[in-house]
Amino acid sequence: MASIQRRAQRLESAISICLLAILSLIAIGIFIKQSGYNMSRFGIKATTSAISLQMLEADEEEITLSSLVPAGFNTLSKTEVYEPENLYEKINGKAPFYVESGFEELSTQRFVSSDVDSLWMELFVYDMGNVRNAFSVYSTQRRAEGEPFAPMRFAYKTGNALYFVHGKYYIELVGSSESSELLRAMAEVVRKIRANLAIDYDTNIDELVLFPEENLIGESIKLYLTNAFGFEKLTDTFSAQYKLDSETITAFLSRRTDQQNAQLIAKSYYNFLIDNGGTAKPALKKSFEGKVIDFYGSTEIIFATGTFVAGIHEAENQQVAEKLAEMLFNKLSDTSAE
Amino acid sequence: MIEQNDKKLDRREFLFRAGKAGVSIAAAGTVSYLLYDSKGPGAGTKEEELVTLPDFSVSHQAGKTMSIVKGPDRTKTVDKAIELLGGIERFVKPGETVAIKPNVAFASPPMLGATARPELVAEVVRLCYTAGKAKKVIVTDNPINDPASCFTLSGVGKAASQAGADVVMPRDNLFRHTTLAGGRLIKNWPIFYEPFKNIDKLIGIAPVKHHHRAGASMAMKNFYGLLGGRRNIFHQDINTIIAELAMMVRPTLVILDGTEVMMTNGPTGGSISDLKRTNTLIASCDCVAADSFGCGLLGLAVSDLPYLAKAEKAGAGTTDYESLKPISTTVS
Repeated sequence: MASIQRRAQRLESAISICLLAILSLIAIGIFIKQSGYNMSRFGIKATTSAISLQMLEADEEEITLSSLVPAGFNTLSKTEVYEPENLYEKINGKAPFYVESGFEELSTQRFVSSDVDSLWMELFVYDMGNVRNAFSVYSTQRRAEGEPFAPMRFAYKTGNALYFVHGKYYIELVGSSESSELLRAMAEVVRKIRANLAIDYDTNIDELVLFPEENLIGESIKLYLTNAFGFEKLTDTFSAQYKLDSETITAFLSRRTDQQNAQLIAKSYYNFLIDNGGTAKPALKKSFEGKVIDFYGSTEIIFATGTFVAGIHEAENQQVAEKLAEMLFNKLSDTSAE
Repeated sequence: MIEQNDKKLDRREFLFRAGKAGVSIAAAGTVSYLLYDSKGPGAGTKEEELVTLPDFSVSHQAGKTMSIVKGPDRTKTVDKAIELLGGIERFVKPGETVAIKPNVAFASPPMLGATARPELVAEVVRLCYTAGKAKKVIVTDNPINDPASCFTLSGVGKAASQAGADVVMPRDNLFRHTTLAGGRLIKNWPIFYEPFKNIDKLIGIAPVKHHHRAGASMAMKNFYGLLGGRRNIFHQDINTIIAELAMMVRPTLVILDGTEVMMTNGPTGGSISDLKRTNTLIASCDCVAADSFGCGLLGLAVSDLPYLAKAEKAGAGTTDYESLKPISTTVS
């Protein structure tokens, strides 16, 4: 009987120790969680302006935004850092767009001319996690009036601003006015970024070379990470514009995980268009395997070849749409066969 | 085995142990109850401490609810637009205190069109003082970015001060909690209240902008600046919150500036190429009507902005601005 009692006591002790250990773990968990308490989530604004200079990773090097200040300029503000939880404090309604595109962190700082107070610029460095995400936010916001900014491939300038992709970073330099002095200073900031952040910034997006080059409108390629053309299953979709027979026409492609998935997405997108008022119509010339749809007067073409879903979006002229679809189909079929 | 073990526990011992367990459970429950905050951190305010924004609207006059003035010069167009509605004297009486709520959401330069233009704010301040004989005019907003930077870099702070207005920056002690009667989202939520508590009239001034989430940011969305706390959560239901703002805030007058419209990349913009000159300015006693007209400047239909219909249904105004017989003219 004594041994039974001893065993019972040992069991009780063991259970008690287990319970105390669980309670301790809960307490530690609460302590860790509380140490990262984000005041801005509960109605109290976190102060971003007081944050110390944020470092950017660059292989073995580290640079600060302040170190990018161009000649003849001074820093106008401290570096501000925003994360997905508080990005809205900087860009308000545009924050969801970035967050849904893989945004990780934004660092910003203003630089002002030493001579003219009204001449200033703001540098926005968006860490988008990878080059595809960075290219997506760059390309879908690209201003049609923007002029290419050599020597970078994914870069353009407008009257008061510069926009470019640098590795996983999407970077904006926004000036307070249209000024050649500001644009010169912005170009210097770009040079410093390129010199200090040595990143292969345009080699990882394979799909860019899959569009037929003939008649392609330069810099028109966009990447929609989600919800392309309003269809949620059409993810990682590239679109490109062509000037063909005096028509401006949009082609698209999306590389899927395998052939079955490509077929499935093509079929789903076709059904989506039909469900939303589209009607199937015959091809004028059977030069590719695909579906042609009349969508409220415009022509949509969808096909799957290899691991690709591709087609034409909102074309006014069916004949031209089929011509471009054939070019795209052949290029993608050749790629799939390689 | 169990029987043997239980035999050791006599009645007295059992009652003693059960009592101890009961007291422990009761103590833990009492402490938990006392510490439990059903409203969560930062959100709790007693019902009796909740505030309600006063109604600043003026009585409608047939044919003088909305004016639309074409022209490139904001100073001239706003003067004319207000004159067509009966002049500032209709809205501001001698000795009154007026609050002007411009959109100063971002620390960006005036030329980008993300904020209200300084010369427009200054002109409305001037009108309130000169023709309206206002005792005091305050200009205030609760911006997205750092308030001091927003008022400085947008040029609104300097322009308003030079015109004689008191510029009021948001501080924690200027917020109070409110609950919107009939509202679904604005419940026990902090709003920028104190500057508006003792004023007589409220004038909103907003640019016409594309908005990535809402479709457009105009007169109604401008009052998003009155919301405190972690207001970005409302972006998940942006149409409802804008409609509720129209229910919560009853301004005297709104000025909707469509002289240059941000067509894309809103609400921040960033490039002058985002702007399109449409040379149109609207003054209206009806926020919903002003925005219903304004969406056309963005190339949108009323049906493209669901918050307009929601606000109309809630009684905040009309989307059928034509029914108000807006007065239109052009000034060079």
